[in-house]
Amino acid sequence: MKKLLIVDDQVNIRRMICLALRDHFSTVEADNADSAYTMILAEPPTGIVLDVMMPGSMNGFQLCQRIKSDPALRAIHVVLITACGQVADQELGRSLGADAYFVKPFSPLALVQHLTRSCC
Amino acid sequence: MALIGNTGTVEAANPAFVSSAGMALEQLLGMEEADLDAHLSTLDLPRRRVEVSVDALRAVHYLCNSAVPKQDMRHLARVAEALREPLASIYGFTELLLTQNYDEPTRRDLTAMVLEQVEELGNLINERLDLTRQTDPPGSSA
Repeated sequence: MKKLLIVDDQVNIRRMICLALRDHFSTVEADNADSAYTMILAEPPTGIVLDVMMPGSMNGFQLCQRIKSDPALRAIHVVLITACGQVADQELGRSLGADAYFVKPFSPLALVQHLTRSCC
Repeated sequence: MALIGNTGTVEAANPAFVSSAGMALEQLLGMEEADLDAHLSTLDLPRRRVEVSVDALRAVHYLCNSAVPKQDMRHLARVAEALREPLASIYGFTELLLTQNYDEPTRRDLTAMVLEQVEELGNLINERLDLTRQTDPPGSSA
């Protein structure tokens, strides 16, 4: 099974996403972007489901930018999940190289469908 | 709002959108979505695009141009973001409960989480209402 990293400071959201994905992917979790980056460097996952607004020195946009500007990491499929619903935020996500952008509240089934199509 | 049809052009727009966009309805109708997007990006207004999968429609564009000051708009955006967090859990867990066959303990656990998030949503709304009442007592806007 391919591995996905789920990054969100809300434990409920991480649990919901992991539960939705469990038949298709193995999942690991991080509750902030700094820990996520350490995990990615240690063992790059196939994809990342990444919240934008999180405590720590980096937010989701900044982590996305780091991943997509690193030739060794840029193949990782990045899905941003955020409570920021403005078009400007989505455009920023796209400009940083995010592969998809889901606005909360979102359908976990739609997320599974997207990831199975893109990462399997 | 403005509706984008399957042809990728504006098929309809309501008067509020027309006014906020600063264009005549005749100019908007038939406009390519990319051109509309380019025009809207020049306006300093909150906006949103929602993809739809209805037969003849591709997307809906929303544009907000109320008399609410910018500072209040930012506050409203923060409130909306705070409300989206528990809503995401409620939507997601409910969808999973409806579509997946979980064992009884898992179903009970997930249902309890939905209830917990509904309470969280209620608390957030009440907190915001309390703040509004403190700054804007009942009857003050009448």
